[in-house]
Amino acid sequence: MENKAMQPTPVQMERRALRQVRFTRPALWVQLLLLACLIAGPLLLPSFRAMDVMTKVMIFAVVAASYDLILGYTGILSLAHVTFFGIGAYSLALVTFHSGHSAWYHIFVAMALAVGLSGVLAVALAFFSLRVKAIFFTMMSLAFAEFVFILGDQWHDLTMGEDGVSFNLPGVFNVNWSSGTIFGAPLNGRLLTYYFILVASVLLFIGLVRFVRSPVGRVLKSVRDNEQRSTALGYKTFHYKVLSNVFGSVVASLAGVLFAMWLGYVNPTSVLGVPVMLNVLLMVIIGGMGTLYGSIMGAAFIQVAEAWLPDLQKLAVLLLPTVEVAHRLAERWILYFGILFILVVIFFPKGLVGTARDIIARRKLRLAEPNH
Amino acid sequence: MTSQAATVGIQEKSGMDPKKLGVWTASVGIWFLPLLWIDPTTYAVLTVAGLAMGMLIFLTASGLTLIFGLMDVLNLAHGAFFVWGAYVGFSLLNALQKIGWVEGAGAAQSIGSVMLCLLAALVVGGIMGIVLEKMLVRLTYGSHLKQILITMGASLILVEVLKVVWSPNDEVVIVPQAFQGSWDVMDVIVTKFRVVAIVVGLAVLAGIQLVMMRTKLGIIVRAGVENKEVVETLGYNIRRVFTGVFCAGAALAAVGGTMWSIFKEQIHPAMGEENLIFALIVVIIGGMGSVTGSFLGAIMVGLAFNYVAYTLPPLALGANIMIMAVILLIRPTGLMGKD
Repeated sequence: MENKAMQPTPVQMERRALRQVRFTRPALWVQLLLLACLIAGPLLLPSFRAMDVMTKVMIFAVVAASYDLILGYTGILSLAHVTFFGIGAYSLALVTFHSGHSAWYHIFVAMALAVGLSGVLAVALAFFSLRVKAIFFTMMSLAFAEFVFILGDQWHDLTMGEDGVSFNLPGVFNVNWSSGTIFGAPLNGRLLTYYFILVASVLLFIGLVRFVRSPVGRVLKSVRDNEQRSTALGYKTFHYKVLSNVFGSVVASLAGVLFAMWLGYVNPTSVLGVPVMLNVLLMVIIGGMGTLYGSIMGAAFIQVAEAWLPDLQKLAVLLLPTVEVAHRLAERWILYFGILFILVVIFFPKGLVGTARDIIARRKLRLAEPNH
Repeated sequence: MTSQAATVGIQEKSGMDPKKLGVWTASVGIWFLPLLWIDPTTYAVLTVAGLAMGMLIFLTASGLTLIFGLMDVLNLAHGAFFVWGAYVGFSLLNALQKIGWVEGAGAAQSIGSVMLCLLAALVVGGIMGIVLEKMLVRLTYGSHLKQILITMGASLILVEVLKVVWSPNDEVVIVPQAFQGSWDVMDVIVTKFRVVAIVVGLAVLAGIQLVMMRTKLGIIVRAGVENKEVVETLGYNIRRVFTGVFCAGAALAAVGGTMWSIFKEQIHPAMGEENLIFALIVVIIGGMGSVTGSFLGAIMVGLAFNYVAYTLPPLALGANIMIMAVILLIRPTGLMGKD
């Protein structure tokens, strides 16, 4: 029976199998293609709107992926995720705004501040509410989110209230900085900010993927699937839940710093509001919970829809110039998000990536069957 | 033997549980503290305002807590019922204004028009509750995540449709003549409608308690909160009870919305969401599934909101969250929650 001790564990076997197909998986090519598109995008397509949508897709893909870590991998529904995103955005805005003129190190100070603040708050929130029941956490997080929103809205001396904070980025990231052209596209502050965000969000995303595939991520999935059993196996599930919550929140707050960098302006509704939270939730659901990569698709879907849905109103005016109800209906595009929400939850619960993975797995099974 | 055991059980019930008594005295006594820094006349005014607000929050929270306790559903569409109730009441008051039942109306007509508004809200809320339960919530029993998502989606749709039917802007509500103004009781100014709100809140509490404690339906609902499966094995259609409770909760929320709109004299589409936050805090403080707990919680939240809003205005909502945090530290399941 000595042989048995030498045999790899199922986890090791799975890892080995994954390592073998590391460079031949089709998914890798899709990822590289996506990355190439994002790198080449602003050079080939120098329209501001396209660049804006691409940047927001990148940032929100990270936010949605970090939310997926909490929701899809740990099974906790938090409604305060965007609050951490907002805390990140506000830390950059307030650091640069209140210090008078901006310096390059402000970005790093803001990042440190965002990580510290959101880490502490996430731990506090989790300690207060994760002890009892998962659903308690949902309610507490909603109350917490509303509280931070009110703080941002009312604490005028610090946050400028609902008018929001606009600020200038330091050095090469400043909108006014420019220096010639690169590959035919103007090399300016916007372009450099874009690439900074690209690098940062790719790093954050890889960090999330590594986290999910780590031994800790494995425990998280077991907590999601059967908490009692993982407790019985000797894991302190509460600690793991807090850890995942804190890690996800910290990543979201870093994404918030990036978002503030891109807009150069923050206000409570754009980074702390409930509609943003719903958007992120919808991104995760559309992409598929517990897939991480789904959040990229979800973010792309929502951002593209948000950029072009307001045009629906013009279409309605054009097609039905006399029916006023149609105009009003077209104006309320959140309504369609609500309908989409319900339809996806009922008919498409695994989301785009989840469903695609199911189909691929089934096909593989069918291909494998005749050999047996 | 059996009869003896039964008598013991009854005796245990009739005696007040010391733990619960402690909870009651502590949660009532603490509200005399502000007397230390607020002068008695202002304190009395604030207390009446706080009680009225608490009663109105209780209308929303009672339905929320019952739905949660019985059906294990966290209904985030509750705020939508509330705001629909408010807008229905607003429209009806506008219509009644044309026949002179609102402004410049006598006492009987004013009471009549408020009653009509409450009735309309009750019917609209109840119908919306039944439709939502049968169409959507029913599909998701057992999965908290799906329930939250679906009720959230429903809430979005309902509020957006409301913006299409009425308007996305603030509206001013006209208050029936007899309820305008205030009484002066020994220098304490008591706004009339606040008294109405307190009376309606107490009536609803009494009504719920009566139904829950004295009728067969109440026994089934209470038993369902304890254990659904056993109720089903006894031959009761628990699904129908679910629909009924959901409908009643929605109707109560809509009534709360109408009352709130007359209380505040203005409405806007986001008010449902704001009230839902209050109701959630109340339900958490009171313990999920407990009607008396949510009543206590609602009074606490209403009073604290008013005292703090008077002393330190920007911290008003923060104070409620602080109370919630403190109570959760002492009793993680809420004041009256099951351990």
